[in-house]
Amino acid sequence: MTTVYIADTGVFVRCGGPDRDKFQRLRRAVRQAGISLRVPQRVYEELGGDPAADAYPSGNMPYPDGFEEGWIVVADELDYSNPLVSTVMDEARRFIANETDRDEDSIEKADTALVGLAAQLLDTANADNIVLLTTDKPAGRAVETLLPQHGFGDCIDFRYVSVEYLETLTANHFR
Amino acid sequence: MAQSPPRSGRPPIQQLQTVANLLETPALARLYAHILQHGPVTVSEVLDELDIPQGTAYDYVQNLETAGLVEKTRDQRPYEYDAESIALTLSTDGETQTITPALIAAVARRDEDEDIDVYIERHGVDGLAVALEYAYEYVDGTVNHRIAARELDLSALEAEIILQALEPVATEYADAAT
Repeated sequence: MTTVYIADTGVFVRCGGPDRDKFQRLRRAVRQAGISLRVPQRVYEELGGDPAADAYPSGNMPYPDGFEEGWIVVADELDYSNPLVSTVMDEARRFIANETDRDEDSIEKADTALVGLAAQLLDTANADNIVLLTTDKPAGRAVETLLPQHGFGDCIDFRYVSVEYLETLTANHFR
Repeated sequence: MAQSPPRSGRPPIQQLQTVANLLETPALARLYAHILQHGPVTVSEVLDELDIPQGTAYDYVQNLETAGLVEKTRDQRPYEYDAESIALTLSTDGETQTITPALIAAVARRDEDEDIDVYIERHGVDGLAVALEYAYEYVDGTVNHRIAARELDLSALEAEIILQALEPVATEYADAAT
């Protein structure tokens, strides 16, 4: 059984700032468990995409160390020609529009990328289980709700990454 | 002869002056937010919780009492104080913003949370007030940082930083906002 861990932007923002305790805790837990965190391309772009964010303590994130050490990796590009991926992302757009009371047209691929990646990993048998680590509650709920409708019932675990989650994180959370 | 003003009905412009002080003085804002959340409290109880010098704390409580934002609820020593909730709505050129206790509490955190401090430097207290509205939605799960970023014209990263920074305030004041 292969479990793939997908990590969103919010995880690394939570670990930002001059106090690196939370980042070190995450690093230790992930490495002890012998797993890696998969980061969607969109998230990778968000993390490095705004020099203005450097002014914020939390914008100062040590995540590049994780790439160097190999426990954070960028996920494969989304394959929109995969019918499951495109169908689930379409459904996620409607789902998130509804959850957030926004117009469907205003929901973009960035909002549904986490859902698409989860579908792709399960569909291509790269993963038997998906754990989604995020602060994006609408996307988390979309994953939990939509993937079971496509036969992936018991293989989804959406974890909201709160301060408390990171402060109490151990390798056991990844086993 | 001057009439003593009614208890929670301070004249608006006088309130504005006090509220302006609160927004400019994070320690004063912290004191007010603390009394509002935990009152009635004595000044020495406040001193145990907040890192404010004793003399300053007594001065601040007196300022707030004079402005009608806190009042004595126990007339014997040790005095106890409780706070009045604020809702001051300002309109200029079609833009309206309401100063709420949650906004005061958010500003109060700028001393201890540099993310909030940087955000106010970049977007002003008005910008912070708007971000706080999104923080309520973020806590509720009815927005994510990506949608907030597009609607506030920020990068997704900056949006996530300020939403996380405001999450404790939005959680604490969620009931008051609904």
